[in-house]
Amino acid sequence: MNSSMKDKITTSQAVVIIINYILATGILTLPRASVEKVKTPDVWISVFLGGVVAMIAGVIIVKLSQQYPDKTFYQYNQDIIGKWLGWFISACVIAYFFTISAFEVRIMAEVTSLFLLEGTPTWAIILPFLWVGLYLISGGINTIARLFEIIFPITFVIFLLVAFLSLGIFEIDNLRPVLGLGVVPMLKGIKTATLAFLGPEIMLLLVAFMYPSDKSKAVKVVLAGIAIPLLFYVITVVMVIGALSIEGVLTRTWPTIELMRSFEIPGLIFERFESFLLVIWIMQIFATFTITYYAATLGLAQLFKKNMHPFLYGLLPIIYIIAMTPKNINDLFTFGDKIGHAALILFGVVPITLLLISKLKGKKA
Amino acid sequence: MWEKVISYMPHWQVFLQGFLAFFIPYLIYKLFHVFLFVNKSNGKIEMKENSEQVEMVHIPIQKTLEQFTGDFNKDLLQMRKELGHNWDIHFREFQIGNTDNRAAIVFLKGLCDKELIDKHILKSLMNGHTEKSSVLRGHELQQSIRNEILPVSELLEESKVMKAVGKVLTGSTVLIVDGIQNVFIIGTAHGKTRNLEEPVSEAMVRGPRVGFTEKLSVNTSLLRQHGENRNLSIIEMEVGERTKKELVLAYIDEIVQPNLVKEVKERIETIHLDDVAESGYIEQLIEDDYLSPFSQVQSTERPDRVIAALLEGRVAILLDGTPFALIVPVTFNMLLQSPEDYYERWLSSSLIRLLRYFAAGISLFGPSLYIAFVSFHQGLIPTKLALSMMATRQGVPFPALIEALIMEVAIEILREAGLRLPKPIGPTMGIVGGLVIGEAAVQAGIVSPIMVIVVALTAISSFAIPQYNAGITLRMLRFVAMFSAALFGLYGIILFFLFLCSHLVKLKSFGVSYLSPTIPYRAGDWKDFMVRMPLKMMKHRPRLLKPKDSVRKGE
Amino acid sequence: MKRIQCCVRLLLVATVTLLLTGCWSSKEIEDLGLIVGTSLDLETGDVSSEEQQDARYANRQLLTITNQFVTSETTVSGTKEGALPEKAYKNVSETGDAVLPTLRNMLLKVDKRSFAEHSKVIIIGEELASTINLQQTLDFFLRELEIRPSGLLFIAQDQASQALETNEPTKIPAFQLVEMMEGHERTTKILPPMTVAKLEGKLYSDSSFLLQNVSTENGEVKFAGAAIIEGKTKKLRGFLNESDLEGIAWMSGDAKGGLVKGFDEESGAPIVYEIISAKSKIIPHVKGDQISFTIKIQSEGRIAEHWVLSDKAFDNQFLKKAEKVFEKEIERLVRKALDKTQHEFQTDVSGFGNKLRIDYPKVWQKRKKEWDQTFSEVPITCEVKVSIKDYGTSGD
Repeated sequence: MNSSMKDKITTSQAVVIIINYILATGILTLPRASVEKVKTPDVWISVFLGGVVAMIAGVIIVKLSQQYPDKTFYQYNQDIIGKWLGWFISACVIAYFFTISAFEVRIMAEVTSLFLLEGTPTWAIILPFLWVGLYLISGGINTIARLFEIIFPITFVIFLLVAFLSLGIFEIDNLRPVLGLGVVPMLKGIKTATLAFLGPEIMLLLVAFMYPSDKSKAVKVVLAGIAIPLLFYVITVVMVIGALSIEGVLTRTWPTIELMRSFEIPGLIFERFESFLLVIWIMQIFATFTITYYAATLGLAQLFKKNMHPFLYGLLPIIYIIAMTPKNINDLFTFGDKIGHAALILFGVVPITLLLISKLKGKKA
Repeated sequence: MWEKVISYMPHWQVFLQGFLAFFIPYLIYKLFHVFLFVNKSNGKIEMKENSEQVEMVHIPIQKTLEQFTGDFNKDLLQMRKELGHNWDIHFREFQIGNTDNRAAIVFLKGLCDKELIDKHILKSLMNGHTEKSSVLRGHELQQSIRNEILPVSELLEESKVMKAVGKVLTGSTVLIVDGIQNVFIIGTAHGKTRNLEEPVSEAMVRGPRVGFTEKLSVNTSLLRQHGENRNLSIIEMEVGERTKKELVLAYIDEIVQPNLVKEVKERIETIHLDDVAESGYIEQLIEDDYLSPFSQVQSTERPDRVIAALLEGRVAILLDGTPFALIVPVTFNMLLQSPEDYYERWLSSSLIRLLRYFAAGISLFGPSLYIAFVSFHQGLIPTKLALSMMATRQGVPFPALIEALIMEVAIEILREAGLRLPKPIGPTMGIVGGLVIGEAAVQAGIVSPIMVIVVALTAISSFAIPQYNAGITLRMLRFVAMFSAALFGLYGIILFFLFLCSHLVKLKSFGVSYLSPTIPYRAGDWKDFMVRMPLKMMKHRPRLLKPKDSVRKGE
Repeated sequence: MKRIQCCVRLLLVATVTLLLTGCWSSKEIEDLGLIVGTSLDLETGDVSSEEQQDARYANRQLLTITNQFVTSETTVSGTKEGALPEKAYKNVSETGDAVLPTLRNMLLKVDKRSFAEHSKVIIIGEELASTINLQQTLDFFLRELEIRPSGLLFIAQDQASQALETNEPTKIPAFQLVEMMEGHERTTKILPPMTVAKLEGKLYSDSSFLLQNVSTENGEVKFAGAAIIEGKTKKLRGFLNESDLEGIAWMSGDAKGGLVKGFDEESGAPIVYEIISAKSKIIPHVKGDQISFTIKIQSEGRIAEHWVLSDKAFDNQFLKKAEKVFEKEIERLVRKALDKTQHEFQTDVSGFGNKLRIDYPKVWQKRKKEWDQTFSEVPITCEVKVSIKDYGTSGD
């Protein structure tokens, strides 16, 4: 396996990759993070608008990538803004990717050790996770896409099932009034909500892997890829607030799991459903981890024009050490916010600038 | 600032663990790499040796590969030299008709149809001939024998001694006639075969009660018998260096992807073995990944299964001497299907198919889920169930993993022993064993009753899978799942599942993704996946095989 | 070859160490003592241990916590046939000044590892609830992972630990309470269940609410009305009796099933109405500074029993008359409950504030702080509409 792009992915695979990338930590923390900012039940509108913002950013990214349909971001940014600056931006993006994969790993470890494996040391939780990810990634982008295609329907079905089951404790009054205090508080939440939609940036790389005949569909891919997580997030936020009320959500570290633990349905084989949620959530984190890990490795390989293997193994300890750096859970959440801010610059500002430059250049030529 | 950074410096242990994170997989990678590399070089050397051997063998063969001379005495002597020392080789000398043309037949006792030799060959040659033949010599006699005298269908001429010897050994009769340069080879082979019986390993309620036998010609005839099909190609190949065996590829010309046939041929040609005892050898030598626990070639005893596979655009490999035909490529989902699914009506067969998927799930994850819930996540089971589990496990001295292992291993032993036991006592022993393990172990307080239920359920589930080897694969992986559950509980099971999926998505069988049609998404193929849609809706062949002609004819 | 061997050895060592150190979190189910219920009381008696003495010096109030354990031994003895009936549960009490240290002290008394994932009820004693802020008392239960938010909360009259005892040894009182709570579907005298999850929202939003009250008589547990928790102080304010609860249920639309007993005006004989459905709407009105509410109650039901000999249910006139009776009766119940909550306790426990928040969010923002005070002064009108759909199998 090397950094060449013989592997191709289909349109539906591209959509699934974006969905699985976006769905991650947000499922568990978005309700609290956004309620903290908004403080009214209009959070779901903020989340919706956040998704729309992400879609706009996604479309810009796709437009940029479509200018250079056979190259990944790492390769074409040097064509646009010159070798050194391009190199620097690539390095930033690579750093972003492996930092976010480290972040996901750590969050996974925190939640797992809290809800599933009390007492198991963090390293014992993280290491096997890293290794399974490594095994998957060594198969290339196509393998990753296929695995995502397996876990996506599982996520979809189980998620809808548990959301549906939690209807029992849903109270519509908790979601009212709509825009009772005007639009201002709702607007405050948009930024937080947008951070939950980190993921369209993978289109910087994916467009290069799509079949040439499908590349024109890339815009649709990114829109569909964001629309489904948007649906997931809105459902999550609505269900969590509807059941726990605004005040109840504010104080919960992991509100969505709290929601699942708040009801029991006797009579079914399972009375309790947080295990289902945790199962799909860990799978989603695995998906986010692998795709970002892959993106970082691919970047390094293309930057140094080498085979991917050494980077694949070399990144493991780096990811591990970064994951272990935050000292406590608050640190971890701040860490996540910082990554989000970096993403806003890297994938909000940079692509549009690059797009403008390349358009200008194109006109000149 | 600096102090803040310092305060975020991880502990040295973290660095050590980070190193381990890199080192252990790297080690495994290296290990496999070295292992594979050694293997490959071995392969090369082997091939070289082989080719040398072939050359070396070639020289003596060329010596003995003499032509028949046409001189009766010389030729007969030659044959005697090659075969005469064998007890079961018979030489019968006689004179053709009333003439003095000397002739001899050479045949192998037991493999030939003696009646055919006596009634049709010897009788025709020895009696009822006009003087005309006495005049004939050489070429004319040859023509005469061919055209007038011998009333047999399979008649060949052979000029090489060694080839003739080979034919004798497989049951043909060699006729040496004085004055004729070549010898005649008469197809009298009549190997011992058994009757067509219902396949033991793949019993069905509905469907043809015919299985393949050990004789290749019978097997191919079974395929032909299925119905007239001009496009059914049966291509002959030969395997085995020392013991040559016939092997045929069967496929339907109009449907199959030509590259697939080419690939299968190439892979079979690379087999260099003394003897191919059973199709299992071929299966193992042509599969894509021999490190995978999953079988990447389907084996079956049922002609209807083979025909159905051929019509989907797959290729079947039939080997002489075994009732097991191989079908490539195969996907995981095919291993969970049974021909019966298509014979019964769609609703019931869809339900049964779903049931099989469910059974596969249980047989893979049953005991591991039990372990995870009993020793890790007691909070995730319903309270009343937790109470009854507590009550039943009261006094059991082992942790859940050991308990599960004891029972699982016992069941596996019981299964294996049940295969070997003579038929009359098999069921009895099975019942005794089951009773002892189930009832007495619970009474003795070694295992809990719920564990017995779990184990029995998983054992039964694994036999609900139509393919025996697929069932074994799942049983094997079950143990891995149990260990990962014992280490990490539910998290371990998720990791195991992800690992398994990662492996499966990498796995390919003859260029077809092993998990098709699950992935990549092909809605068209889902009509025949977990459910089987009505036949009228399945107008297209599975696209995963990229057939030349994608529409099933009809309507 | 040597390299391979070396690799294999290293790998083996790694696996073995992993397996040896493994199973960190595993704990077998039979070694657990499931905590199925917890009760909290204010300790009033003498204290003995050193730790408790410390607390006394610091002028801290002491809690007595009683955990109801179900262990593998008790479940076996509880179900075994023929044997002398032993208790299916085991109550362990401990006293201390904060919850967790007290619970940990139970380790000194219990051989099993206590495990609270199956905890079903938390019962708080009357005295404790009226002296210590509920948020402080329950902090541990809201924070602790093992306590599921689906657990139910009760207030006990007198000693809470009494509610975890029963005369029938084979039954587990905590489960009994949960099952009794399901009667909420069939009577208006039981509150809808208050889970820890719901409680959290209530506590943090500073609104007043009701908790189901449990009383014990002769070792028998009985649901007796509800306890009012005041939003501002988060302390027990007082109790409502069963008939008040009926009024509250009608107001807040929680009545899912139940009876209304009315009396025929002429004969004075009782007529019983069974609820099929009940809806209520609380409509706030804001005029300038004036806030008022209208409660609209609509209910459908059937005549379940009537002792009036002179009338037949086949007669529409009688149904009309009966509807009037029930409307009056329901209004009386509502009025009574309102009177108690508005004037006696001055707390809003039936969601008037919430309706104001939804319909007039800005007004609510202003009045939020002093809501209970405001509530005690607002005029409330009540409209009841009852329609009788059928009268069972007898038209008599």
